Amino acid sequence: MKHLIHTLNKAFDHRVRLGVMAVLMANESVSFNDLKEVLDLTDGNLASHVAALEKAEYVLVSKQFIGKKPHTTYSATTAGKAAFQQHLAALEKLLRG
Amino acid sequence: MKPVNPDPLAQLTEIRAIMERSSRFLSLSGLSGVGAGVVALLGAATGHFYLQSRYPDGYLRLIQSSMPERQAALPFLLLLAGGMIGVALLVAFYFTQRRTRHNGQPLWSRPARRLVAALAVPLVTGGLFCLRLFLGGDAAMVVPGLLVFYGLALLNASKYTLDEIRWLGLTQLVLGLGCLLLPGWGLIFFALGFGLGHIGYGLLMYNRYERTATAGPDAKTVVTQ
Repeated sequence: MKHLIHTLNKAFDHRVRLGVMAVLMANESVSFNDLKEVLDLTDGNLASHVAALEKAEYVLVSKQFIGKKPHTTYSATTAGKAAFQQHLAALEKLLRG
Repeated sequence: MKPVNPDPLAQLTEIRAIMERSSRFLSLSGLSGVGAGVVALLGAATGHFYLQSRYPDGYLRLIQSSMPERQAALPFLLLLAGGMIGVALLVAFYFTQRRTRHNGQPLWSRPARRLVAALAVPLVTGGLFCLRLFLGGDAAMVVPGLLVFYGLALLNASKYTLDEIRWLGLTQLVLGLGCLLLPGWGLIFFALGFGLGHIGYGLLMYNRYERTATAGPDAKTVVTQ
């Protein structure tokens, strides 16, 4: 039998990625700075983890310019939301043992 | 960089906390409500003495007052309302920023901005609506109008903050509708809703969320009950 721990999604195998997904589940779309503030992270740290989630196609990145300043917002894709729900369900299952 | 906490319960708890923190402004201080309530009671008392000096034969006179009379009373009423809003906001700002600093969280965060917008739009609309009611001769509708618009504003804003705000909003709605049935009782309902309502829910919120942070061991028993 496959051990329960393997049902946990590898893409969410880090606190920051879990945090990013949690914020994007609770909010439609969130800017880079707001995400950084809520999760209390540095630019580089957040950027690398968001890039991993983007690569997994769990997070949609949209870049706009407000005047000359770039403004990046993130939102969870449908696949991302489903994967996160599954991950939460797997965590709950682990808890119930 | 911290790896993921292996305990699934800790993970779930942290996820829930992040979801809450990112979508709701939870540092609203109950003392803000108490302060706003005290300001409203002082304002209602000022209004009471003013109206009594102008209309000794009872408030119902105001409701039937003529256009010039109402226009003459307008500067005082606007000044009183503006003063109350100003002082109440200052008090609310003071206690809330004190609490965010205590919690080590930013004050002007995204949920805080949403909270303010969710409150401001219905409130400004309600204020202008009631101004028009007053000038148009429906003075008896002003306090019910203020309570109803304020109740709806709170109901709208409760999505972005503590749950008690929803109940405070529903309380204001009930009082506003009740006030429709008793013309001439506006000031009493004003004091009930904006005064006692704020103080009551403010104390409730303070007891639930803030007292434990500063008080001794007896406060902990309150939480576990």
